[in-house]
Amino acid sequence: MEVDREDGRTQNQLRPLACSRNILHRAHGSASWSQGDTKVLAAVYGPKAGTKKNENPEKACIEVIWKPKTGQTGKQEKEYEMILKRTLLSICILTVNPNTTTSIIIQVVNDDGALLPSAINAACLALVDAGIPMKHLAIAICCVAKSGYVILDPTKLEEQQKMKAFAYLVFPNSVHSVLPEGSLSVQGEPIEHGIITSVTHGTMSVDDYFYCLDRGRAASVKLSDFLRRSLQQHSTDSSKAG
Amino acid sequence: MAAKPGSVPTTYPPNPGPKTRPPIFKDNDLDWVRPDGRGFHQCRPAFFRTGAVNSASGSAYAEFGNTKVIVSVFGPRESKKAMMYSDTGRLNCNVSYTTFATPVRGQGSDHKEFSSMLHKSLEGAIMLETFPKTTVDVFALVLESGGSDLPVVISCASLALADAGIMMYDLVAAVSVSCLGKNLVIDPILEEESYQDGSLMLTCMPSRYEVTQLTFTGEWSTPDINEAMQLCLDACDKLGKVMRSCLKEAASASQE
Amino acid sequence: MGLPNAIGDLSTEVEVEAFRRLFPLRFYEKHLSESIRPDARPLGRARDTTIALGAVASANGSALAKIGSTTMLAAIKMEVMTPSMETPDEGCIAIDFHMPPICSPIVRPGRPAEAAPVVSKQLSDTILSSGMINLKELSLVSGKAAWMAYLDIYCLDADGALFDTALLSAVAAFSHLDIPEVSLNDDGKIVLLSEEQEGMSDRESVNKEKRKVTLSSVPFSLTCILHKNYILADPTAEEESIMETLVTVVLDSSSQLVSLYKPGGPVLAYTSAIQDCIALTRQRAKELQKILDEAISGMEVD
Repeated sequence: MEVDREDGRTQNQLRPLACSRNILHRAHGSASWSQGDTKVLAAVYGPKAGTKKNENPEKACIEVIWKPKTGQTGKQEKEYEMILKRTLLSICILTVNPNTTTSIIIQVVNDDGALLPSAINAACLALVDAGIPMKHLAIAICCVAKSGYVILDPTKLEEQQKMKAFAYLVFPNSVHSVLPEGSLSVQGEPIEHGIITSVTHGTMSVDDYFYCLDRGRAASVKLSDFLRRSLQQHSTDSSKAG
Repeated sequence: MAAKPGSVPTTYPPNPGPKTRPPIFKDNDLDWVRPDGRGFHQCRPAFFRTGAVNSASGSAYAEFGNTKVIVSVFGPRESKKAMMYSDTGRLNCNVSYTTFATPVRGQGSDHKEFSSMLHKSLEGAIMLETFPKTTVDVFALVLESGGSDLPVVISCASLALADAGIMMYDLVAAVSVSCLGKNLVIDPILEEESYQDGSLMLTCMPSRYEVTQLTFTGEWSTPDINEAMQLCLDACDKLGKVMRSCLKEAASASQE
Repeated sequence: MGLPNAIGDLSTEVEVEAFRRLFPLRFYEKHLSESIRPDARPLGRARDTTIALGAVASANGSALAKIGSTTMLAAIKMEVMTPSMETPDEGCIAIDFHMPPICSPIVRPGRPAEAAPVVSKQLSDTILSSGMINLKELSLVSGKAAWMAYLDIYCLDADGALFDTALLSAVAAFSHLDIPEVSLNDDGKIVLLSEEQEGMSDRESVNKEKRKVTLSSVPFSLTCILHKNYILADPTAEEESIMETLVTVVLDSSSQLVSLYKPGGPVLAYTSAIQDCIALTRQRAKELQKILDEAISGMEVD
């Protein structure tokens, strides 16, 4: 089924991606990520000595501070902070720097849909830039589902159309491993098919959700390649791109 | 989305203003009937239950007519890091209301005045020297306000402390009396409190016959004070028995 | 009972408790390998659930829901507002979730729980997007007045599965909601049409027919823990703190998916696990519907 989209994209087409690393000099790591008109900045400070509140002698701690484009931090931002924190905790290796806190500050520059996935991608890049030990990357994508078809990476307009439901999905990237092929798969499914985070809004059928998963997984491969390529470039090259 | 912060429209409750309601008694009328049909010196039936909150060290629920409160006790636990060393334990009290407790929807914020009065009425009854360096937290939530909120909170809190196994000299029972015209009315409901000329609250340890707190508001004559205090002391004695039997029931139920 | 025996019982008891505190994960894994949980539940079973309607007299609708020892009190108070220009014939629902200090040792006055705003947001997203309440039913006078339903949910005892219990109490409070009969007075304000005034005023009620809200497609939820290959339904607070991967599935009465919420966590969710969680939620939704129906019919008898 063909669906017309406002900006002339096909349903599986993502908006142009751009990212750059090491854009802030005072932060230990930083990155910007944009897809279409959605742009997010992420800065990482740490690991620094654990504050009293987050003290844990066995594990490192992560705190996320979400700065909206305008206005004050409300419930929506608190929810984003919690999702981002739990997502990042699951991809970082926390036992390397016990009793430390790493702060991640997310600044929304412009919101044109798929805001949380963009922030997750940006935070992930910034963590790599800061040299925080990680198991793998997290690839976030937004899918809009409507009876039988799925469109990827919606703009704000497409997200807000009331009848539609959308899902934010986060997958691990495909791991290049020295272990024999298949040893990382779980129950016959490769590791990159596992869901790190799933957040949905609006009512959809169960089948639509699984269809979203399929499409999201396919798109995450492309995103994963893009991330890997941009990370392999030298930081001086990539700073020009931003 | 329906409820964005900042864009919430102003709302008002559809209740008629207080002026339209007739007063509960006329001037110089000595034989008016209380809205709930009680005698002037008759308390509402009291219901207590301990162990209402599992995650607390001790807790109690109290219901006096429409006044419903729940109190949790945590600790003795580590004092805040900023606190200095202390030979005796600390007591920390907090009273808050739900947004739907009052007839007109409130903010559900902390009640600072009640918090400090709860603290004062309890601290004399607790053996603070039995838990040095640590803090006992007493948190109360008024689920529904039906009048005489503070006395109910105080009685309920002492029961929660007993449930938590905190050492006390005695349970603390609290009762208030309102002065309406020429009548003294015990355990007033919300409507009576809104018309009162003066009020008196007495908290005491019934078996020791010792008062831990006594507060007055409004205009009182000396004979009235004496009469009101005697009323409260008698009522506290009865209330203390109800509380004690509640504790005994809980203890015998756990033994079985 | 003989004395030596009693002492022997006590010593093993203490050892188990100590083991549980020192090695919580191993303690749980030992149980899971036997397909049982420390509170004697099988893995997929939820705790005992009760609903009591009409717990708060000062509210227009209220309910107390308990799942295990997790307790939530939800109450709705109706106020009047002027509807917005875009939706002149729709009312509004404002949902807030509170965790007062009484509910858990980790909440202190002045330092609110981190979970409270998150659960609050999740609840309003779920309730508003499920289409359970038709906002048009909350209209009073088109363009002039509509109901604002303030739904406040208080957690009285926090022992895991907060969202599930809060959603259940919210749904039950809406099913108990009794909208007061009101009329439009001369100042253009909405006032109660109380019984004593009925004789005196000749004002017309503006909502004689609309005293209840219709609940279509009621959402029910189930939270599961994923740990290795195990799926534990309806976790307690202890289980949530030891095994951190949570999946919350919300299904409505026609088995549509309202929300599938998995915020991170060390365990990845594969398709089969998601399918299992959805199947468990389907079963649980039926149970909850039955419990709710029983609570409502119990009210009607009284």
